[in-house]
Parts: sequence; C-alpha cells; structure tokens
Amino acid sequence: MSKSLQQKNTRYFLIWLPLVLLIGTGLFYILMSTHAHHMAEEQLELKQENIWNAFLTNRDRPASNITGEYELVKGYPARNDLLDRQRDTTIYYPVNKEWVAFKTLTEQHLLTINAQRYQLTTYVSSREITHLIIKASIAEALVFVLLLVAIVIINRKSSGWLWKPFYATLNQLQEYDITQNRSLPLPEQTGTREFDQLNRVLTRLIGHAHLAYDNQKQFVENAAHELQTPLAVIRSKLDLLINSSTLTEETANLLADITRANDHLSQLNKNLLLLTRIDNNQFPERMQVSLSDALEKLIAYYQAFYDGNLPAIATSIEPGVRLNANSSLIEILINNLVSNAILHNLPGGWVRIRLSPQELSIENTGPSIEGDTARLFERFTKGQEQSRTTGLGLSLVKRICAIYQFDVQYHYAQGIHRVTVSFPPA
Amino acid sequence: MKLLIIEDEPSLLTAIVQYFQQEKFLCDTASTYEEGIRKIEDFQFDCIILDLNLPGGSGLQLLQYLRHNKSRDGVIIISARNSVDDRITGLDIGADDYLTKPFHLPELNARVRALIRRKYAEGASQLELGPLTIDLLARTVVYADQAIPLSKNEFDLLLFLMTNKNRVVSRQAIAEHIHDGPSEQIPSADFVYSHIKNLKKKLKEKGCNDTIQTVYGLGYKLSL
Repeated sequence: MSKSLQQKNTRYFLIWLPLVLLIGTGLFYILMSTHAHHMAEEQLELKQENIWNAFLTNRDRPASNITGEYELVKGYPARNDLLDRQRDTTIYYPVNKEWVAFKTLTEQHLLTINAQRYQLTTYVSSREITHLIIKASIAEALVFVLLLVAIVIINRKSSGWLWKPFYATLNQLQEYDITQNRSLPLPEQTGTREFDQLNRVLTRLIGHAHLAYDNQKQFVENAAHELQTPLAVIRSKLDLLINSSTLTEETANLLADITRANDHLSQLNKNLLLLTRIDNNQFPERMQVSLSDALEKLIAYYQAFYDGNLPAIATSIEPGVRLNANSSLIEILINNLVSNAILHNLPGGWVRIRLSPQELSIENTGPSIEGDTARLFERFTKGQEQSRTTGLGLSLVKRICAIYQFDVQYHYAQGIHRVTVSFPPA
Repeated sequence: MKLLIIEDEPSLLTAIVQYFQQEKFLCDTASTYEEGIRKIEDFQFDCIILDLNLPGGSGLQLLQYLRHNKSRDGVIIISARNSVDDRITGLDIGADDYLTKPFHLPELNARVRALIRRKYAEGASQLELGPLTIDLLARTVVYADQAIPLSKNEFDLLLFLMTNKNRVVSRQAIAEHIHDGPSEQIPSADFVYSHIKNLKKKLKEKGCNDTIQTVYGLGYKLSL
C-alpha cells in the first residue's frame, strides 16, 4: 500500500536518524573514555612531578603517604613490570567502609645528592571519571533525542509547506473532468521552480488533451451530420422503390432487409448525434420535471404501442417526484431504461419499476449477460441481441446521469437485471 | 397543388419530386439560395419544402425573407440538424413544420397534406375514401354510416395510410409516424404488425374488407 509523502519522509527519518544517533552515542562514549583515560594519565604524571619536586625542596620532611593521593617509599620494592604504567587499583576507606576505585602510577626516582632511591606511587580516583563519562553520555543521549524529535517535527512542517503547491495541483487535477469542457487554471507562479514547471507541463498536457477531445467530439458530430443526408437519400429512394410495380417477392425481401438495416443505421446515427450533443452541453435548459408523470406516460405509451405484447409491467411510482433537469434528457433517460428492460426480456418475463424521491429502480427478467458488466455503460457494448439495438442506450443513460450527478448502478443476480438511479439529495 | 422543393442534394430532390408528382402535385425545384429566392418571388406555392443548408445562404434566411414579403405559403423545414433550438428557431421565424432528416417520404407527404388542410381548407376536416370517412377534428371513423371505434394508435395509423393511399408504406415509416415518445428513440417496427391486425379486424367487422393489403414483408397499402 502506498504511503503519503509525509509518512514516507518521517519513516525514513525515524529509521535512519536513531541509527546514526546510536552510532554517534557509541562513538562519543569511546572518545570520551579514551580522553578520560588520557587525562587520568596526565594527572598521575603531573602529581608525580609535583610531589617529587615538593619532596626535593623540602627534604627534611620524612617521606610519607596521603591515602588516595600518593605513597613515597625508600628503595625499589615494586616489581619491575608494575612500573611506569597506569594501573587500576582499589583502596579501602574504613570511615565509609567502602572500596574506592583508583588509577595509579608508580615511578622510581633517584635522589642524586645521596644516591638514595625512592619509589613514588600517585593515585587519581577513577570513580569520579566514570561518573563524568556516564553523566556526559546521558546528557549527550538526551540532546540527541531532542535533536531527533526536532528534526522530525521541523521536517514535517517544512515539507508540508514545501509540497503545498503540489497538493493544490493534485486536488485540482482530481476534480478535473475533461467532459465538463472546463479549462484547468493551474497557478503559473508557485514560488518553487519545479512546481512552476510541473504546472506548466500539466497545463500544456491538458491543453493537448482538450484539443484532441474537442476534435474527436467535433469529428463524431460532423460525421454523424454528414451521414444524415445519404441516409435521407437511401430512405427516400427505398420509399419510392417499394412502390415499384415490378416488385417481386424476392426483391421485396431484399428491400425489407435493406430498409431494416438502413433504419438501424439511422437510429445509430441519431443516438451518436445525441451523445455528442449531450457531451457538447446542448441541453442546458432546466426546469422542474415530474419524473412520476413522465414515467406513467411512458409506460402507458409502451402499453399502447406494443398493444399488450409486453412483459408484465409492475409499477410502484410515488407521485410528485420532481427533478430539476432538462425534460428531453429525462425523457431519454427513462425511455432508454424502460425500453431496455422491455427489449432484453424473456418470453413470459416481467418488468418492475419503482420510483421514490431518492431513487428509480428498474428490474427485469432477462438472459444473463456475458462479459464484463462494468463495461455495459460504454458505447457499443451489447448483449446477444445485436441487430435490434444500437448499443448506445446505456452510454446515453450514463452521460445524462453524469450531468445531473445521479448515481447509476447495474446489478445482475439469478436472472434478474436491476438498474438503480439514485438522485442526489436536493 | 403547387409545391416548391428547395434542397441542394440532387438525389434527395429527385426522390421528393418523384414522390409528390405521383401524388399529383405540381413540383418546382431550387437547389441554391438564390434560385430559391427567385422562385418564391416569381410564383405562388401552396407549400414550400425547405432545406436549411443551402449553397449561397441558409434556409432560415430564406424563410425570413419569405415571411417578410409574403405570408401565405406554407413552409416545412427539412433539416439534418435536430436540436430543439434549431426546431424552435425555425418555427419562430415562421415555418409551419419541421422534419428531421432522414425522413420517410410518406411522412413528408402526411405533413404536407396536413399543412395544406390546415392552411387552405379551414372547416373541412373530413377525409373520404369511398364509403370510408375520417373526421379529423372529432377523430372518428365512419364506414357506410357505421362508426368504427379505434384506439389512438389505430386512428393515427389509418389516417396515415389514407393520406398515402394506394401506396406501399413501409413498416418503419408507420412505426415512426405513430410513435410519440422522444424523437430520438424510435421503437422497433415489429409491433406495427399487431396494430395493423387489430385495425383490419375492426374494419372487417363493419364489412370493410381487404382495404389494407400487406405487401410482402415490406409494408402496407390502403386502397379501395
């Protein structure tokens, strides 16, 4: 699943920053203890020098010790391997009854006057050093955590601000629908060069798409218009031809087929023209249309026209359902749905029409539809009864519903087709 | 009856002329705007069939010119344009009727005859064919003094056949004629058959036999 830019960015930071900070903390600790070690050594050396110098200038005083500070003894009692090397040791403090850790250094000194040898051992408390290292590390860790939180927060804020023009463009694109025939006014100056560029490129792209779409619409409209005249010629010639005195049964059958095909072609052409006219927004007038009355009228018309040769039609039509729409489009809408339900039916089948202020639902028995039912509303998607229909009826329905923001759903289950048109709340 | 047909597509023009000549009309033609203007200036016509897309000018301009100068002539617009706007504009300027291409010639004939009846034969609202009489206003049919009760569709069907009497009228033309739903959605012509069957039965009950003949699978012809 895709995450948002913000989330991804934060996630990267949260994965990599703690790792870097952890390594930083380790490094800090190592450096810190090396330095502390070194410092203890320096201190021990310095103490050696100070104490020996003090002893030299004040030779009358006997050599003595101060616990935890130094120890001066005559002679060279210590083992050679313990000399001149920093060692760890512990000293017992009886007052506090505790052992305290010390760093210690033992060096040998020669008093040149009497060639007397001395051995000096100096001490530095390593407990204090350890405490310092721990405290400094904790402080450092705290600073790092603070840094982490600050970086993530600042980053989130700044990226939100930084990507603002991008999200604005994205929102505009999301609401954009080429069929609505509107231009997309993307700001040319966003303050960020890349987004300026993005908007420029998008504007150009949409311009091209618009042009192509308009050309295509224009083409379909022109083609359909141009077809009207030859269709009219064929139709009129056929009307003359069927009155010819030399008509035989054979030619009559041929003529019947041609007439049927020509009428199918005319119907197709009419529907194509209608589609382009809807797409070109040529039905702008709106009024309060009584859907209830229109449906009742339509059903009565079908009953009369088909003279009872119809599937049983059951209706449950709430009176007074009104829509603010174009009356021609509403007529076309319901006519297509009802005639579909009647045409694509089975012998002895039924049609059930329900209308409420919220929705219109038309159910009918019918043969199952093979293939992708989601494509039913596309142009020229048809079931089996190829020759009797144009394959444009449902795409007309879809376009009309799109204009008025009606939600149209198709459902098929157990031999029953159902089309539901839901009206938006007024 | 004199008819002027203004249409730039020659084969459609000849078809219309041929059909109306068979209907015993006197037909004159024009295929450009100028020719049309000249003809309507020089002659009087009972009905003018006018295409909207003409070389040299639009049919609407021609109609405006006509209505400005003379008012009598009936005008039926035939146009490939089928938007409500075009229709309303045409009728506003003064056309009497508007027919969208492609149309059936029997339909054009029915429109021309209805227009002529409305314009010139006020009062006379009866069509007669032998003993068969149709009253257009009362929408009743009488055969040899017996009234024949017909449904709306059957009446329209009979009237249409009577207007185009002695001619074969295709089932598609009939279906389009008696259909009164949205003009874009013409229902299947298959059901014309049952209307014809019912009409024939009702006529036969009153002794009016074999008035309507079925011409193969093509259409129907009314003759007495």
